[in-house]
Amino acid sequence: MVFEGRYRRNKKTLTDEDQQKLANSAVAIVGCGGLGGHIAEQLARIGVGKLILFDGDRFEISNLNRQIMATELNIGQWKVEAAQERLKIVNSEIHVDAIKGWFREDTGPEHLQGVNLVCDALDSRETRVMLERVCHQMNLPLVYASIAGWYGQLGVSLPGDFSAQWLFGRGGNGVEKTWGNPAFTPGVLACLSVAETVKILIGRQPSLRNAWLQVDLLTMEFERFKIK
Amino acid sequence: MRVIVKLFATFRDGRFKVREFDFPEETCVLDVIQSLNITPEEIAICYRNGKDAKPDTVLHNDDTLALFPPVGGG
Repeated sequence: MVFEGRYRRNKKTLTDEDQQKLANSAVAIVGCGGLGGHIAEQLARIGVGKLILFDGDRFEISNLNRQIMATELNIGQWKVEAAQERLKIVNSEIHVDAIKGWFREDTGPEHLQGVNLVCDALDSRETRVMLERVCHQMNLPLVYASIAGWYGQLGVSLPGDFSAQWLFGRGGNGVEKTWGNPAFTPGVLACLSVAETVKILIGRQPSLRNAWLQVDLLTMEFERFKIK
Repeated sequence: MRVIVKLFATFRDGRFKVREFDFPEETCVLDVIQSLNITPEEIAICYRNGKDAKPDTVLHNDDTLALFPPVGGG
């Protein structure tokens, strides 16, 4: 069933041509937790034609505080399966693939065939660096984001940039191990990721290439730093 | 010499956001972070005047040091 006027309120911001580009696009979302759930929800609502969701976890009670796809009714269900079910009733005009498993360097590439862009929604700095390596090999743009407590970081890595390696390749454990993640931080960072994603998909320049956005929701400061 | 230290994210907890310090000449990055009770292992990015610095980088008058902890959650 086609819902006429679904994208009517996007007009002016997104032209009919832009909307068509989104409909013809495929985006892989690697990780379907706090960030990934919100990213998937928004990309579905904005009309990206195909989404491929990766996650090897099932929902647990501690996910309810922030993961939009988690409900009291689906504890124990595969995260990607729950997301796929929800997105089907949000936008039945798009196609959603659910990969029940962790993204791996050896098997990941075959799932990324035909994809136009990858959204990082992982919870590990090391795996982000690996994902960027795969994106580079496959000539795919990567939009990455990370969160901890009141804070987040976000950027865009085009093939050859290796910005994620630069940002996440150093330092010990992420401070999220201590600070956790409240509901609003993944929500905000996912919105910002989706804005950069949409720009790339419609052929506009992303704002955070060779740079990262340092987000502080405690002071409401958003500061852009160049990667040097 | 005058050095401005900017802390980001969780480094601000119990410390400060930005503060001006008076350090002796030849002070290096490690001296500064130790005075703040931060270890090099806790730092993901260390910028001196907007460019990558190492623990043994010697600071100069009017330098700005920016320290970021690793943020990795999703």
